[in-house]
Amino acid sequence: MERFKKMNKQAIIMSKEVPVANKIKTDLHEILDIRYLTDSTFVLRIEKKELDFEAGQHVCVGPPNGIHTREYSIYSAEQDDCLEILVKEVENGLVSPSLKKLQKGGFVVVEEPVGYFTINKNLPANQKYVFIASGTGISPFHSFVLSKPDLNYTLLHGVKYAEEAYEADAFNKEDYVLCTSQESKGDYNGRVTDYLKTNSFGKDAHYYLCGNCNMIHDVYDILEEQGVSTDNIHAEVYF
Amino acid sequence: MKRKVGFKTLGCRLNQFETDALASKFVNLGYDVVEDSKDTDVFVVNTCTVTNQSDQKSRYVVNKALNQGHGGMLIITGCMANHHKEQLEKRYPNAYVINNDQKSAIPQLVEAHFNKEIKPSNDHKGGVFSYAPAAETFHTRSMIKIQDGCDNYCTFCIIPKVRGRAVSRSVDDILENIRQVVSFGYKEVVITGVNISRYNDNGTNFSALLKQIVDLDLDFRVRISSIEPDSFDDEFFELLKHPKITPHLHLCLQSASESVLLKMRRMYTYKLYQRIIERLRTIDPLFNITTDIIVGFPEESVADFQQSLDAVNEMQFGHVHTFKYSKREDTRAARMTNVVPEKEKTKRSEELRQVAVDAKIKYRKQFIGKTQQVLIDTVKDGYSKGYGEYYIPVKIAGKLKKNQLYNIQILDMENDSIDPCLRAKIVE
Repeated sequence: MERFKKMNKQAIIMSKEVPVANKIKTDLHEILDIRYLTDSTFVLRIEKKELDFEAGQHVCVGPPNGIHTREYSIYSAEQDDCLEILVKEVENGLVSPSLKKLQKGGFVVVEEPVGYFTINKNLPANQKYVFIASGTGISPFHSFVLSKPDLNYTLLHGVKYAEEAYEADAFNKEDYVLCTSQESKGDYNGRVTDYLKTNSFGKDAHYYLCGNCNMIHDVYDILEEQGVSTDNIHAEVYF
Repeated sequence: MKRKVGFKTLGCRLNQFETDALASKFVNLGYDVVEDSKDTDVFVVNTCTVTNQSDQKSRYVVNKALNQGHGGMLIITGCMANHHKEQLEKRYPNAYVINNDQKSAIPQLVEAHFNKEIKPSNDHKGGVFSYAPAAETFHTRSMIKIQDGCDNYCTFCIIPKVRGRAVSRSVDDILENIRQVVSFGYKEVVITGVNISRYNDNGTNFSALLKQIVDLDLDFRVRISSIEPDSFDDEFFELLKHPKITPHLHLCLQSASESVLLKMRRMYTYKLYQRIIERLRTIDPLFNITTDIIVGFPEESVADFQQSLDAVNEMQFGHVHTFKYSKREDTRAARMTNVVPEKEKTKRSEELRQVAVDAKIKYRKQFIGKTQQVLIDTVKDGYSKGYGEYYIPVKIAGKLKKNQLYNIQILDMENDSIDPCLRAKIVE
C-alpha cells in the first residue's frame, strides 16, 4: 500500500456511539376530522402522536395506500394535541384528490416535520412582522398566530375570491388585510403585490412570504425598492 | 498472506471522508488497501447518486470490476445504494448492498464474511458518525465529518432522501477527531458534511464550532468544504480572518436567476449571495470562491441562463462545477413540466464551462509573484504538486516531501487550456 503513510501506532479509538442514522421517520396517523372551507379546500385534522414541531414547518402527507406524498405546511398550533393541514385539491394531482376522498377514521402517511420557515427566536418580543400569503400559503401564518398569540404582525392575504379567506377569524381583524383580485369583497380590491406597493411597513419589519413563485418574486422586488434588506425577508415557496 | 481491499469512491468529500475512515480501519485490521479492484479480496464501491451521470459512473465501476474478473467480495455502498437498493441487489445478487447508515460497519461485515459467518443482511450496527479517526487515508488532507443529512429539500435534490434528516456530530467528538488526525501528522483538516452551515449540536452552531476548532492549541490549518450560503452570521465572517482558516469556500450558487433559485427552493437570493462575496473579498481581495452551477433547470429561460453566465465573470469564481440539470425521481423538480431540451442543456453547459475556464485563468493569474504556503500531495516525474492556502494547484520543480508545507513564490502559469497549474519556486 505504497500511497499510504506508515501506520501510526497510536491507538485508534472508535467514535462514541450515536443513534443509527437519521432516517426520515414515517408513520400512519388517524384522520380525526375533516373541515370543508370551500368546494376544493379542506382542513385535515389528524393524530399528532409524538410529532412536535415549530410553527412554520411542514410535513409530507399522503394517502395510506399510495407511494406519493406532498409537502403541507402545518396549519395548527404548536401546543394543539392534533395536527392540521390545509389542503387544496389540485386537478389531476396525485395526492390531493386522494386525500379528499379519505374520511374521518381513515389514515394518512405522515413524515416528521421539517423546515426553517420559522420565527427567529433571537428577535425581540415586540418585533414587527409582515406576513404575506397567496392562497393556501396562509397555512404557516395560521400556525404562527395560534402558536404565538402575542405576535406583533400584519397579515396580507392574496386570493381571487373572498370565499378563499380561509378561517380568517383566527386573525385580529385590524391586523388582517384580505386582497381579492377577482372581486371587490375583500379589504382591498387587487393583488397583494399592488397593496404592498402603496403600503410600506418599513425597513425594520421582518417579512415572511408564503405562496407561489411569482408572488414571492414580485414581493422581493417591491421590498427591495422599499429599502428592505434581504436579511429581513424569509420565503417559503408553494408549488 | 495479507488480504487486500480495494476502494473506488465517487462523488462528494463526505464519501471521501468515509472511504478514508474505512481504509484506515482496514489497515488497522491488517489488510492491504489499494485504489482499484485488481487482485483484491474485497472491492468497495462508494457510490454517488446526485445525478443520472453519477448513477451511470457508479454502475460502470462495478461492471468494470466484474468484467475484469473480480471474484472476491463486492460491496456497493453510498447514496446510490440507498436510492436503488433493490435494483442493485437484483442486478448484482452476489454483492453486499450497504446503506449509508451501515457503511461504518463494513469492516465488521467483511470480517464476518471471511470468518464464514452467515451472510449478514444489513444488520450490523453502524451509525453515520461511527468512523474511527483515519490514520491511513487516500488523501493528504484529513476530512473531518461534522454533520450528515439535509433538511433543506431543494426541489432538484435527492440527497435528503438518501442521506436522511440533518444530524450533527457532537462538538467533543469533532475536536477529539481533529486532535487525533493532527497527531497522526496531518497538516490540514477539511470540515465536511452534507449541509455544514446548518450544523447545530445542542445550540452550538457552525460558527461556534469553528471557533472551538481554531482555538485548539495545535499546528494545523482548516479548510471549509462545500457550504450553503443561507445561514452565515457575523461571527463566521470574523472567523474567516483567523490565520488557521484558509481563504477558500466552495459556496454553492446553482443559479444566478432569482426566479430559478425560488423554483429550486434555495434558501437565499442571488442578491444575498453577492453581498456574501463582497464581504469575503473585503476580508481578502483574492479570497477563492468556487461554486456549483446547474444549467437547464426546468423553466430556465435564456435570460435566466444569461444571469448565471454573467455571474461567473462578476463573482470571479476560482472554479465552477457545471452540472446539466438531471431529473431525479421523487423530487419536486421531477414533476415540473416546462423542461429544457437535452440539446439545449448541453449547449448551455458548454457555454458556461468555457466562461468558467476563462474566469479561472484570470483569477489564477493574479497570484503570479505572490508567496504561499503549499501542502505537497503529489511527487512524480521530477516535479512536486500541492495546494496553497487558496486551494489553487501549484507545481514546483524537483522532489519535495509529501504532506509537508513549503513556502513558495509563484513564478508563472502553465499553458494548459482547462486547468492550468501555477508554477513556483521554494523561498525561505
